[in-house]
Amino acid sequence: MEILIASTVGVLTAGGVYLILRLRSFPVILGIALLSYAVNVFLFASGRLAIDQSPILAKYGEASYTDPLPQALVLTAIVISFGMTAVLVMIGLAAYLEAGHDRIDIVEGEDDAGDAQS
Amino acid sequence: MMHAIILPVVLPAMLAPLIGFVMRHDITLARTASVAGTVVSFAIAIGLAQLAAGGETHIYRLGDWPAPFGIVLVLDRLSALMVLLTSTLALIVLIHAIATGWDARGRHFHALFQFQLMGICGAFLTGDVFNLFVFFEVLLIASYGLMIHSGGRERMRAGLQYVVMNLAGSTLFLFALGTLYGATGTLNIADLAARIPEIPAEEAALVRVAAMLLMIVFAVKAALFPVQFWLPATYANAPAPVAALFAIMTKVGAYAILRVHTISFGPGIGSTEDLASTWLFPAAIVTIAVGAFGVIGARRLMSLIAFSVVGSMGTLLVAVAAFSPGATTAALYYMVHSTFAAACLFLIGDLVVTRRRGDTLSAVPATVENGLLAALFFAAAIGMAGMPPLSGFLGKLLVLDALRDPGLIGWAWTAILVGSLLTIVGFARAGSVLFWKSTEATLSADATEDAPAARATALELAPAMAGLAMLAGLAIFAGPVATYLEAASAQLYDRAGYMSAVLGPAEAEG
Amino acid sequence: MSDGGTFLIIIALLPFLGALVPGIMIRAGRTACATFTAVPTGLALIMLLILAPSVMRGEVVQAELSWLPQLGLSVSFFLDGLGLLFAGMVLGVGLLITLYARFYLSGDDPMGQFYTYLLLFQGAMLGIVISDNILLLLIFWELTSLSSFLLIGYWKHLPEGRQGARMALTVTGAGGLALIAGLLILGNIAGSYNLTDILQAGDAIRASEWYLPALILILIGAFTKSAQFPFHFWLPHAMAAPTPVSAYLHSATMVKAGVFLMARLWPVLSGTDAWFYIVASIGLITMVLGALIALFKDDLKALLAFSTVSHLGLLTMLLGFGTQAAAVAAVFHIINHLTFKAALFMTAGIVDHEAHTRDIKRLGGLRHLMPVTFVIGTVGALSMAGIPLFNGFLSKEMMLEEASHTDWLSNRYLVPALATLGSLMSAAYSYRFVSHVFLGPVREDYPHTPHDPPFGMWVAPALLAVLVVAIGVAPFLAEGLVTVAANAVTGADLHPHLKIWHGVTPALWMSVIALVGGAVLLAAHAPLDRLWIAAPRPEAKTIFDRLIAAVVTATRALTEATHNGANSRYLAIFTVTAVLFGWVAFSGSGLAAPTRELLPVPMVIAVGWILMIVATGSLVIMHHRRFRALVLIGIIGLSISAGFVYLSAPDLALTQISVETVTIMLLLLALHFLPQATPRESSTGRKLRDGVIALAAGGGVGGLAYAFLMRDVDTISGFHLDNSYEGGGGTNVVNVILVDFRGYDTYGEIIVLGVAGLVIFALMHALLDGPAARRLRNADYAKDLSRDRHPMMMVVVTRVLMPIALVVGLYIFLRGHNQPGGGFVAGLVVAIALLMQYMASGFAWTQERKKIEYHTLIGLGVVIAGLTGAGAWLAGQPFLTSAFTYVHLPPIEEFELATAMLFDLGVFLTVLGAVMLMLYSLSRIARFAGTSVNVEPMDYDPGDPAYDDGVER
Repeated sequence: MEILIASTVGVLTAGGVYLILRLRSFPVILGIALLSYAVNVFLFASGRLAIDQSPILAKYGEASYTDPLPQALVLTAIVISFGMTAVLVMIGLAAYLEAGHDRIDIVEGEDDAGDAQS
Repeated sequence: MMHAIILPVVLPAMLAPLIGFVMRHDITLARTASVAGTVVSFAIAIGLAQLAAGGETHIYRLGDWPAPFGIVLVLDRLSALMVLLTSTLALIVLIHAIATGWDARGRHFHALFQFQLMGICGAFLTGDVFNLFVFFEVLLIASYGLMIHSGGRERMRAGLQYVVMNLAGSTLFLFALGTLYGATGTLNIADLAARIPEIPAEEAALVRVAAMLLMIVFAVKAALFPVQFWLPATYANAPAPVAALFAIMTKVGAYAILRVHTISFGPGIGSTEDLASTWLFPAAIVTIAVGAFGVIGARRLMSLIAFSVVGSMGTLLVAVAAFSPGATTAALYYMVHSTFAAACLFLIGDLVVTRRRGDTLSAVPATVENGLLAALFFAAAIGMAGMPPLSGFLGKLLVLDALRDPGLIGWAWTAILVGSLLTIVGFARAGSVLFWKSTEATLSADATEDAPAARATALELAPAMAGLAMLAGLAIFAGPVATYLEAASAQLYDRAGYMSAVLGPAEAEG
Repeated sequence: MSDGGTFLIIIALLPFLGALVPGIMIRAGRTACATFTAVPTGLALIMLLILAPSVMRGEVVQAELSWLPQLGLSVSFFLDGLGLLFAGMVLGVGLLITLYARFYLSGDDPMGQFYTYLLLFQGAMLGIVISDNILLLLIFWELTSLSSFLLIGYWKHLPEGRQGARMALTVTGAGGLALIAGLLILGNIAGSYNLTDILQAGDAIRASEWYLPALILILIGAFTKSAQFPFHFWLPHAMAAPTPVSAYLHSATMVKAGVFLMARLWPVLSGTDAWFYIVASIGLITMVLGALIALFKDDLKALLAFSTVSHLGLLTMLLGFGTQAAAVAAVFHIINHLTFKAALFMTAGIVDHEAHTRDIKRLGGLRHLMPVTFVIGTVGALSMAGIPLFNGFLSKEMMLEEASHTDWLSNRYLVPALATLGSLMSAAYSYRFVSHVFLGPVREDYPHTPHDPPFGMWVAPALLAVLVVAIGVAPFLAEGLVTVAANAVTGADLHPHLKIWHGVTPALWMSVIALVGGAVLLAAHAPLDRLWIAAPRPEAKTIFDRLIAAVVTATRALTEATHNGANSRYLAIFTVTAVLFGWVAFSGSGLAAPTRELLPVPMVIAVGWILMIVATGSLVIMHHRRFRALVLIGIIGLSISAGFVYLSAPDLALTQISVETVTIMLLLLALHFLPQATPRESSTGRKLRDGVIALAAGGGVGGLAYAFLMRDVDTISGFHLDNSYEGGGGTNVVNVILVDFRGYDTYGEIIVLGVAGLVIFALMHALLDGPAARRLRNADYAKDLSRDRHPMMMVVVTRVLMPIALVVGLYIFLRGHNQPGGGFVAGLVVAIALLMQYMASGFAWTQERKKIEYHTLIGLGVVIAGLTGAGAWLAGQPFLTSAFTYVHLPPIEEFELATAMLFDLGVFLTVLGAVMLMLYSLSRIARFAGTSVNVEPMDYDPGDPAYDDGVER
């Protein structure tokens, strides 16, 4: 199991990193999404793995629970990355509509028309 | 329990929604509320600074849960200083934004501004690394909004890059935190300081990785080589008041390094102490060079200023990298100085650019108030380049004087001195083109293709002048200021004191 | 502090305070302005004269104010002989210059500005010479560089003014920085930055291993300031400044700062071989070189400039000799040079002012037209040449005397010979100054017929000329001042006797040779001049300009090559840095032995894992097809949530799925406006590079995860499990952590969401108000939409689902504290239900039925959460302290009402509001883009017979 989780993190990260190194905003957005999956699993894993030990306190008897804290952290992280992704998508869209293309690199000479006031 | 400690966070957090959602149709109302709120925050910050000056480390336990299980806020001289610095800067910038009408060129400026302040203050006050992450995100997402405020092609594209870069940074932050929790099982800065020394030095690989990754995350914020590339384009394309406010954002990174890598991984912890000091110093040296080169080679006024900010961060972090109370005192003085110097330059640059209708460093016919703007720019440039009589020179001397260690002296002194020479030359060239060359008769001949720009109103000039006044005051009252900073860094390096204040049940009742 | 000390501080402050006066008084007219500018200077001079007697008695006036003790920087001044001499020069000449400038400046020069700068400089220069703290001295030192920058660039419109100013600032600035380093080292050796302490520590300093670096750095500072070879080239270009400035800064005072510094530190630094060979040799070279160039300059000011360079070289050489007698000679020559050179500059200024040219080749015969000027100029020139009975002769004689018995590398003749040559050429150009400008026939072709200037303009140089003669005839007049100054320099108790006749000494012969040879040289000037012009010689300015240009080009190229806007590369560098340094950190230590066994892997999980791997792989490969990529993302997300379910993280699964859904929906909507495919534009090499980086990163984090997965650690979460129910009133520990233990995180988290909503809304407006709007209108997004965009099935189903979804949302919300769920998920569920309405019936239709303002939702949510937190204050508890009680409503399972729940309500509202606001913004853009808007639930009415087989007729 641990190997699967570790490899999941690894694969997702690799995929994400590859995609954020692309030249267009859309694949970069996908890459960020993959990375947030990866980091969520990673963060979750930092509480170690456990099966059938949900941190829901049982009314009766002595049960053992998995580490709840990382789960809470991951929830926070998920929400935040959701907000971030949404903003990223919109800014990507805006940049596309403003520039007429969705290249993410600002190529020399192309932006000289620019002016701090705009 | 001192509720005032959390006010710098809660006040803007409560005010911002009102501004953003209730008053969003009336700019005057929003302005009034925003200014009022900032003034109150400023007053609170002064109060907190006085409280902290007492020397005690005040703890605020959120939800009344004891550390390390709940989140605590920690108010010591350092965090109080940073909060005060933030709210002072905020006030100056806010007035400028209102006076120049920047705030009305897009939606929700004031709401985002307040949220930004909340995020920054939260980051300075927290005693928990995951909470630090959360507030990084708060200040970041607000900064995204401010960065692209009022839109425009170049700004959107620069904004996109800024967002992507920082999302990558945040991801790394989480990886670091996961590793840290996986290795230590805690997130509280003081608790980390307690647990990490217990890890045998030969089994500390995970903690070391976490420490290193955290430093890289902070380095991104602090624009440290080789992760500084995002800064110049961002600052040069951001709305000028926002760029001025961002002067504090780089300091957040520097502060985080100071805080975490001093208390949790810092001097005296065998397994991690070498990391920061080893890698920070060379990186900072290169950063100085990057900044200086950028200044002398710049084609645009705003990117010249942006690169000067990079250079100043280099100088600041060279001092930080020494990780000694003495050097940290110098670093803190330089931090306060460079924050205001950078802000001043951006604000004055804004006034200049507005009148020149462009920020390319080429001679255009002299604009109105050429002389006045020239004088302001000259003064601010002196400040940033570290020439007397403003605080930059004292800051430079303090840093140089603090770095006497034979191992450092050669590199550090050469970098700082040559760096400031290039900066001086760069600013001299820029100023002479902007304000002197433009007076040549040949140019002023064709000076009338469009209506001359309006004269700067007193209110537009006031913030920039206030910033310069801060630099002057910082120089004149260098003695008292340094005394406070000395105490602050002494307190920072008193890890035992910090830990007992946060963890010890007796002291925790701040 | 003695009242002498108080005086001293006032003296130091007066010029700076006075700098405020001209700007104001200029409104009262130019004469008033000049007069009032003279007041602070005059006052300072008077106070100095009051202090003078005690200093002449050999006492030292001191004053100290604390400034920055942490650094050892204090505002401490002291006035000894040397300080008195220089302070007198600064203030005295300052007074004369103020007077002279009043008449020199033309009507359209901004006089107020000029006098302000002048006083600023005066203050800085004064500060240098009376500082008792070398850091303070540094401050004033840099200030002189800055003020001279302003003064040289005073005529902004003149290119040579601007360039000269920048050159001066660059060279002296560089020297200043070297000086900073040098003095800091000096202070560190001496253990104090106080000059008086340092002057005591001479032996320790000369013995220190840091002596040589300190010496070199300090000398760089001094040489650049005093225009010593090879830094001499900036001074002539500084002559672009108005003549009063040249006379004041660039001959009398500022350029002497370097000499002053060497004199000041003479007791500490001199007396070593290094000192002698560096200082004396540089001085000698500069003296000869300067004189040589001066000989062939046709511009009067350039001639004087190079002669100044030469005389500064002479002073440097004398100090370099390191003997007390030489020091005396140096001090005496400082006085003499001041008098005749300032007079000469003012003369040159007058000539320029009257004849409208400074070109010697266009002048001559002025003796008849401007006799007064002629007399003044001649006196000055003859003194400069070293003719007896003028003061220049005396100090030059002493110089030659010293030179005559100075060996250089045990060579007896080198120094005397060169010294003689120097003064020979000096004599020559002095003669030339007189003969080619004043003597000879009156010419017809002056640009402007000259005549003597008004009294106010020639009185200043005249006074100096009187001094020249007075000292020349009765040297004992200067003896007292020279003595105290020389004692201050040497730290010894000397009693020099300045007399005209020293008997027949070698120096006398050398003098004679110089004076006669000078005349011969002048006679042969014309042919030599042609030769000189023909001869190739390096032009310092072009070299300097090329250097600066090269630096600019190089740095610019470097900067623009590295900061080239290639975000993908920035990210690559960032990733590589993280991986590399992560590895460095990791390899610095090891890991503990594993303490956990691997958990078993059931089939279903293995399948899910494979699914995820495949999906990711294919996503990377075929991300160009964007729609497909989104589907793949969805699959990955689902398989991850499945994993969460299996690994005892129900909340995560729930949240992951709902976030997943919303994200994909948003992406779909956004993709509507974006290109549908990503062009293939990365080269194979680049893909390979990125692939390697990606694998390294993936391997890195995967390895980390595996490393801690196999090892136990005791965490703080035991506390949370123990206190969740009693302390937090909930059995779902994760939720209790979220809303209670770490509610502060959640508070920040929902604010992030709220701000995200705001940013997107603001963004949408920035877009629609900007140029992008046009592009939106023109682009035809309505294409390839199916006729039936809102199929009946979907419409019906979503309508039915709506209330169900709301109930489910409520349920999830209420149970959250004890079972998986909570405000966030609930918010998302409701949001999804609403989203489905939008998708089913389009933006407009739903928008019309939208009752609540989304902004308000967010605001409400954030405020409620905040107030809930603050509510605890009323109970005297810290922010976010929770309280709870249990309620039992028959239909629903038992649940409790906790303040935490109120907080969760805030979360719920914010989430709902944020998501809907994001969607609303997108819809605004869509409607702007001209997507046809329907107000009916469906595009067509199924009841209409025209549609009964779904095809129009």
